[in-house]
This record gives sequence, C-alpha cells and structure tokens, in this order.
Amino acid sequence: MAHVAREVLIEYVKENQEKLYRIAYTYTKNQEIALDVVQEAITKSLGNINQLRNEEYVKSWFYRILINEAIKASKSNIYFVEYNSVENEIHSNSHENEVVEKLDIYKAVQRLDEKLKTVIILRFFEDLKIEEIAYITKTNLNTVKSRLYKGMEEIRKSIERRNI
Amino acid sequence: MSILKKAKKAYDSIEIPQELDYVVNRTIHENKLHKKNELKIWMKGATVTLATTFALFVVILNTNESFAKAVEDLPVIGRIAEVFTVREYKEENETDLIEAKIPAIKNTGNSDLENRINYEISSKINEVLDEAKQRAEEYKKAVLATGGTMDDYIPTQINVDYKITYQDEKLVSFVITKSESSASAYQEQYFYNVDIENGKELNLRDVLGENYKKIVDDSVNRQINERIQENENNIYFTADEGGFSGIENEYQDFYINENKKVTVVFQKYEIAPGYMGIQNFEIPNDITV
Repeated sequence: MAHVAREVLIEYVKENQEKLYRIAYTYTKNQEIALDVVQEAITKSLGNINQLRNEEYVKSWFYRILINEAIKASKSNIYFVEYNSVENEIHSNSHENEVVEKLDIYKAVQRLDEKLKTVIILRFFEDLKIEEIAYITKTNLNTVKSRLYKGMEEIRKSIERRNI
Repeated sequence: MSILKKAKKAYDSIEIPQELDYVVNRTIHENKLHKKNELKIWMKGATVTLATTFALFVVILNTNESFAKAVEDLPVIGRIAEVFTVREYKEENETDLIEAKIPAIKNTGNSDLENRINYEISSKINEVLDEAKQRAEEYKKAVLATGGTMDDYIPTQINVDYKITYQDEKLVSFVITKSESSASAYQEQYFYNVDIENGKELNLRDVLGENYKKIVDDSVNRQINERIQENENNIYFTADEGGFSGIENEYQDFYINENKKVTVVFQKYEIAPGYMGIQNFEIPNDITV
C-alpha cells in the first residue's frame, strides 16, 4: 500500500507545488526559506509514507507535515525574515489602491498567531473543509470554528486600525 | 468574507520562484534513491494486508445471518477442489477492518470429520478474531485516553486467509494465517493435516512413524547448520538462548508440501531472531500415509 501511496503523494506534490509553496511562504515570509520548507516536507513525507494507511488522506496528511515544517522554520528564522519583501513578490494588474489593500489584508493574515493563521489559510485560501482542517491541526470542529472566528476578528481589527 | 477574498487574491498572486519546479523534482528524485528501504516497507505492508484478512471471521460467527450470505463456494477444478468451501467475512468500522477467508471442508463422505474439523476451524478463528478485536479496542482506548483523537487512531487491520499446501484423494493439508496490523504487526498460523480416508487429523507420528522425533530433530539441526554456513546473516538462537533443542512432541506444527513431504514450521522468534521470520524445514523422508 505504501507503494501506491508513494505514487499518489508524488503526483499530488508535483501537481500542487505552487499551492504548497504559497502556504509555506505565508508562514515564512521569505522565498528561500519557503523553498526549504517545501523541500523538507517532501523529504519527510516520502520517508514516512508507510505511516499513511490510506492514500485518500494524502492531501491532509501532507498539509499537516508542510505546516509543521513551515511553523518550525518561521520560528527558527524569526530574526532575519524580511517582511517588506512581500510587495516585490506579489504582482497584480489592478489599480494600485486595490493592490495595496489586498496586500494589507494578506499581511494581516501573515501577522496572525500561527494557530489562527493556519485555519484561515486552509479555509479561505485553500478552500478546505472544516473537518479536513480539524484533521490537519489535530483538533476538533469547534476549535477550528472558534479559531476561524477569532482570526477573522483580528484581521478586521488590524484593517480598521490602519484605516483610522 | 470579502476581506478574505481580497486577501486570497493577494495570496494567489504570490510569486512562484523559478526554482520551485526544480527543487520539487530533485527532492522527489533524491528520495527515490531510498527505494530499497521502500521495498522493505512495502513488503511489510503486504504482509500486514495478508494478515488483515483474518479478522473478519470472528464477527461472522457472531452474526450468523450476514455471515451465511457471505458464504461462497470456492470454484475449483476436479475432485480436489470440491473438498473446500470458503466463507468470506468483511467488517469495517472505526476500530477495525476485518477481512477473512475461512476454509471449511466438505464432500469428503465423512460428515463427522467435516463437522469436527469445520467446528474446530470456526472456533479457532472466532477466538482469534475476538482477541484481535479486543486488542484493537484497547488500542483505540489507549489513544483516546492519552489525549489523541479518532484522527490519530488508525483502525487495526485484521486479515485471515488460507492456503492449501497439499491435496489428493486421501489427504489434505492446509494452513490458515491470521495477521493484524496495530502498533506491532504480527502473524499467526494454524495447520491442518487431514486424513480423509480414515477421518482423522494427522500428527507427526502418523506421517513419519514411531521414530518421528529423531527424524525431525536430526534434519532440522542439519538444515540450521547449512543455513548458517550459507549466509552469515542467517542467525539462530543457541539452545541456551531458547533456540532449537529438539521438538517437544508429535503435535509440532507442520504441513505437507507440494512434494508430499512433511514441512516442520517454527513461528517467528521461536528459534531465531525476528528478522529471520517464520522458519520452514522440509523433512526428506517419505510420509507413511
């Protein structure tokens, strides 16, 4: 089964590498570190593929590993991460005001506490179900819901503060 | 929500570094080099799956109706095939995953013998499945009691399957294997050697004669020595360490193989370290049945 799971995992990673990178980047706020995180998560998941009992869970299982690696990396590199690199790495054809606004909201997400950030990314950026998020974060539905709520509150507050 | 939609747009436009594709492919490739490891793991997985089949049985016996529905005749060719019938049982719930193929004998012309053996197999498998289910339940409780959630719990796979090792008009020999995957995966085998003509189960004395113990002991000792000399990685416990020091009695596990020879079996850990696995020894003497 690990054999099948391995193929499923490799295919999943290849097809979704950009998504995975964006998640890593949202935690690490740094290109190099985000690449490292993706690399580390692939190595770890392939090395532990025998722990995955059901290849249907490849996605959730990989998210869990990726997020753990991302949090680990963002903690250890906390002092030399360049916050302002974000602007350079986000492109948009829309009007400048809009871009700035989007960026501000995105940055508000980036600034969230890890637990809140994780549920916000997975729910609103990655469009996962509450159940999947509970599995990935090893919590339950109510915890996920309350974190989503808190996360939204904080984002709103931080936008309001900026607008004052 | 619209706030987050805006944030998602920003998120979706995070620039993807050119190296990403290369990094991903190289990482996957590098980890493919560990293929040897993977094969090992996969083999382990396969064994576990095999074992998983067994668990279904217990449930079957307890829920006769659904079990009866699952009963299936095994289509086999010729006289030999008719002797076996197989009941299949499957159960899947949050605690365990059981898949069992349970053999029974029929059409031997000796219904007493059939009843006796089939009952013995059924009780044995029921007992084994009950134990396995109980272990799965305990394991689940332990996970939950230590702060884990059902997401952390992987259902125990229990597998029961059988293999006919020899069969002719007079004699049938088969082995039932039960496997479980839990924290420690393990396997158990049950051997049946049936003299259809005389309606009895055979032991070593029946197939090798009065001198059975010396025949088996000499042959096993000789083969252990040969295997050690063949490959230095073949390790057996010494007699002091609980290794082979002669069989206890005529009820030692064995089956008749396709050459119609007795093959004596020692379970994992019985006479050698775990990595040596189950140990089989074919005894060259002709059988007396």
